[in-house]
Amino acid sequence: MYNNFLVIENISKSFGDNKVLENINLNISKSEFFGLLGSSGSGKTTLLRILGGFEKPDTGRVILDGMDITNLEPFDRPLNYMFQSYALFPHLNVFNNLAFGIKENFTKKEIEINVRNISELLSIEHLLNRRIKQLSGGEQQRVALGRCLIKKPKLLLLDEPLAALDKKLRSKTQLELTTLQKKLKITFVFVTHDQEEAMSLSDRMAIMKNGLILECSSPEDIYENPKSLYTANFIGIANIIEIYKKGENFYSDDLGINFKLNKELKNTKTNILLRPEKIKIQSINNLKTSSFNSFSGEILEKSYLGSFTRYEIKIKNMIISVLDQNFNSNSNYNFPKGEKVICSWESESIKVLED
Amino acid sequence: MKNKLFEKYFVFSPYFWLVLFFFIPLAIIFKISISVSEWGMPPYQDIFLFDNGFKINTTFENYVYIFSDYYYIGSFVNSLILALISTFFCLLIGFPLAFYIATSNIRLRNILLVLVVIPFWSSFLLRVYAWKIILQNNGILNVILLNLGITSEPLQLLYNQYAVIMGIVYTYLPLMILPLYGYLNKFDLNLIEASKDLGLNRTKTFFKVILPLSVPGIVAGSLLVFIPVVGEFIIPEMLGGSDRLYYGKILWEEFFVNRNWPGASALAFSGIIILVLPIVIFQILYSRWSQKNEI
Repeated sequence: MYNNFLVIENISKSFGDNKVLENINLNISKSEFFGLLGSSGSGKTTLLRILGGFEKPDTGRVILDGMDITNLEPFDRPLNYMFQSYALFPHLNVFNNLAFGIKENFTKKEIEINVRNISELLSIEHLLNRRIKQLSGGEQQRVALGRCLIKKPKLLLLDEPLAALDKKLRSKTQLELTTLQKKLKITFVFVTHDQEEAMSLSDRMAIMKNGLILECSSPEDIYENPKSLYTANFIGIANIIEIYKKGENFYSDDLGINFKLNKELKNTKTNILLRPEKIKIQSINNLKTSSFNSFSGEILEKSYLGSFTRYEIKIKNMIISVLDQNFNSNSNYNFPKGEKVICSWESESIKVLED
Repeated sequence: MKNKLFEKYFVFSPYFWLVLFFFIPLAIIFKISISVSEWGMPPYQDIFLFDNGFKINTTFENYVYIFSDYYYIGSFVNSLILALISTFFCLLIGFPLAFYIATSNIRLRNILLVLVVIPFWSSFLLRVYAWKIILQNNGILNVILLNLGITSEPLQLLYNQYAVIMGIVYTYLPLMILPLYGYLNKFDLNLIEASKDLGLNRTKTFFKVILPLSVPGIVAGSLLVFIPVVGEFIIPEMLGGSDRLYYGKILWEEFFVNRNWPGASALAFSGIIILVLPIVIFQILYSRWSQKNEI
């Protein structure tokens, strides 16, 4: 399925007694935009640094485009690394920062042409004579990106590429980064702790925790069908409910209601995931609760988010989050705090978690 | 109000110190350097005479005397060369050490820093004397060399310019390491990784990234070594021989042996001017340069 462009094979790494990476295997395609998502201490940055050549793995191999690069020095690898701090050279101006990596192998004229091309691509041609300290965060990010791309790497590694930018600039840069990547067709592997960033940038992403890859798939697949409890909680808002077999159906003690699943279960007891936007919320006057996949509860908290309203609904021992899309401006669709409502969902929306 | 007054005087206290312990002594030295020498105590005449009316009694002959005799200029040149060589070796040894200390983990870093500072806890004189014992003809080094059969007779390690350079490098090394460390400590190690990532090997990374960004630390450390070494007296006196005369020793002899206070003062004052003026000019140019380059 994947064309073995970048193969990460059985990579393990420890710092002293601290196991940072355990038997990591990944297969990344050419021109893929691949995200490594995890909280701090998950080992994601160490994995990226191993790819960059700044750390040596204890075991395993890294193969890039058919070449084993595991033991190559950073300066011998046909890839580039964009640092979270950008690591631009403060003693050089923008032009010389961009030209830093090509100065040796190119003539003066070629360097100028290359710098001009890359600065036009990133729209920083007006900054070439500036010093690094005279640049804004967004401009620095572009220079850092340009300094890597000018080398035409086979693979670009990005460590938290947008973390240093403010929120508004971040969403703009997010879009630019994806457009750029699709245009240049360079394989991008990036690290982030921000799940929204990972979802919007990645073609595919890997969820990391304690040095392990829990799941690796497209953002849609990971959001809709997470395998583990950790992923379900980590990505988006999750209602996790413990259910067990009771006669024909399943029953939740916390909610005191029946669940009907559209598939058989191996275990008699399991956790299920119910995404908040999959739950339909209706006024209690309109209908009665069904005997399964529905409950009536009281609205505890409500926050208006513009396109959505988020409700926290209390039922028995649990609080369930519901996202209700604001279809029209009719206030009938908005339920006040303290109101009793009926919540219901389709059997297909119930996702069974493996662990 | 009171607080403001306190602040004002507090700010001025360093200037007060500078005037009291630098400018006034300097003025006294200058005064002696332009006075006429005579036999007596003190061995010079007052510059203001009130015998038969007011008379200014100054002379520049002391300066003429110093600058016309190569004995004095030569010793100063010797001292400048010694200071240059010593600073170079201090930098050569101190830079890698400072870099290693700055990039090692915090526990090792503290141990190493203490090791750098430890020599200051014992007397400077004792430490130089210890070198004398190590290097002398029946000293530890010669005994080891003889017993290993590397030499058949004791080597003359003491009383030459090489012993002086070694003693100075040994003594002044911490003065090079500490300011360099202070600067390299703030060095962003990602810059080194970025340079390697962009295809520069270790040597090229050193010359293109580490060295240019260390210039302020190198300048600070080098000045701290260079300036006092020019006037260094004890080390050439204890470890040096008669092969080379140095400025500090000449000055000392002129003052204490020849009792030529005006001559010695003229020598001291000329030395300060020759040394300080270029350094001040350098500092001005350098601060302009570093502002322009934002280092």
